[in-house]
Amino acid sequence: MKESKIEVNFDKKRELEQVLGADQVSYCYQCGACVGDCPSARFYEGFNPREIMLKALIGDFDEFLEPDSIIWKCSNCYNCYERCPQDVRPVEVIIALKNLASQNKTSPKEILEITKRIKETGYSVPLVSTTNRMREEMGLPPLKKIDTSELQEILKPETKANKK
Amino acid sequence: MRMAFFPGCMIPVKYPYMEAAIRKTVPPLGIEIVDVEGFTCCPDPIHFKAADNFGWVTAAARNLCVAEEAGLDIFTICSGCTETLSEASYMLNEDSDLRKRVNKRLARVGKQYKGTVKVKHLVTVLRDDIGVEKIKATVKKPLKNVMVAVHYGCHLLKPSTFMRVDDPDDPHVMDLLIRAIGAETCKHKEWYLCCGRACFDQSLREDMTECVLNSVKEMNADCMGMICPTCFSSFDLGQIMLTRKHKDEDGRGKMISPVYYFQLLGLAQGLKPEEVGLNRHKIKLDSVLQKMNLEN
Repeated sequence: MKESKIEVNFDKKRELEQVLGADQVSYCYQCGACVGDCPSARFYEGFNPREIMLKALIGDFDEFLEPDSIIWKCSNCYNCYERCPQDVRPVEVIIALKNLASQNKTSPKEILEITKRIKETGYSVPLVSTTNRMREEMGLPPLKKIDTSELQEILKPETKANKK
Repeated sequence: MRMAFFPGCMIPVKYPYMEAAIRKTVPPLGIEIVDVEGFTCCPDPIHFKAADNFGWVTAAARNLCVAEEAGLDIFTICSGCTETLSEASYMLNEDSDLRKRVNKRLARVGKQYKGTVKVKHLVTVLRDDIGVEKIKATVKKPLKNVMVAVHYGCHLLKPSTFMRVDDPDDPHVMDLLIRAIGAETCKHKEWYLCCGRACFDQSLREDMTECVLNSVKEMNADCMGMICPTCFSSFDLGQIMLTRKHKDEDGRGKMISPVYYFQLLGLAQGLKPEEVGLNRHKIKLDSVLQKMNLEN
């Protein structure tokens, strides 16, 4: 009989569990319910949410934090959230991994671009010169500039001073 | 009833004709649209959430506070906004530690999330608060003999834990609202499939979009009934791009026109096609307009 070589990196796993959305990952019992309805698994050989959950469970997920890793093939359809009998919410664990990748600055450039645009303009989609012309033609008022000062303020990370 | 209008980004910026359709069709049903100052992007549940989940829920909580301060429940018109605001409300209402952390951030700008507003997609308002009879009463030109292949998309329904719009495995809300304006609905084989728009992989996106479109084309429907603006972009411009890519070599030249529900409602209420922006679609709605004796 061969000896099992799987070792769990508990420190790494705890690091992931502390990211909002990944706190239930330990309850995954690898049933595979998340795979059956997963459109990315259906259309892309090699994308398997159960395998992503396994790597998260054993704290061996550094490969997902590399640029263009497999986690970015997730369609965010929430079918796995719907199906998981353990309330692990696999899509939320994948999003937590994306958060770690973003901290690592390895997420796709659109992530940073769109997030920056929302913080600066309040809109996720760029306002172009034709936007307000089309609105006017449809009898709609022009889009106003959004004051994003409050948004920017609440998104600033805690400092030692404001943590208390 | 008065409700705070949460327009989001995609519809007012990219598809203002959908917003125009809503502003024209909803007041006759007895809903007073209140434009509230101070909303930002919901923020979007794909990019912003992938960058910073905690920042995402905090920014969403700020939007909820804006409606709380106005003393109004929110109605949304985009599936993505509905998902973000519903999930944020659910998280903040269930997790008191998270709520404390978020409220600490909000306190910096003098705000506090209290959990007093409801977030409802406009289709649930129509179904639950207005009712089919009132919709029928506003119909001047029923969409007789028009067959609509419904595509619900993902975020209107899932996760049902907090979306609470309809049974995600057997939804009927769109069918009910489309039949109320005189059209027929049908369920296509891939009705459950995601349009693929949120995958960071062009060919994966296209494969999903194409699979849905091929399934819809088997139905001999007059149009594709949409409620999600992201799905709409996949099936309108996305369909044109796919056709160009294949250069029609397999004879799939037949196009199916996606249309947002409130544009159909507008036609039924007697609005002209251009008043709901149908002339602005990449794929024209010829088959529906012919059956209604209308010109685009």
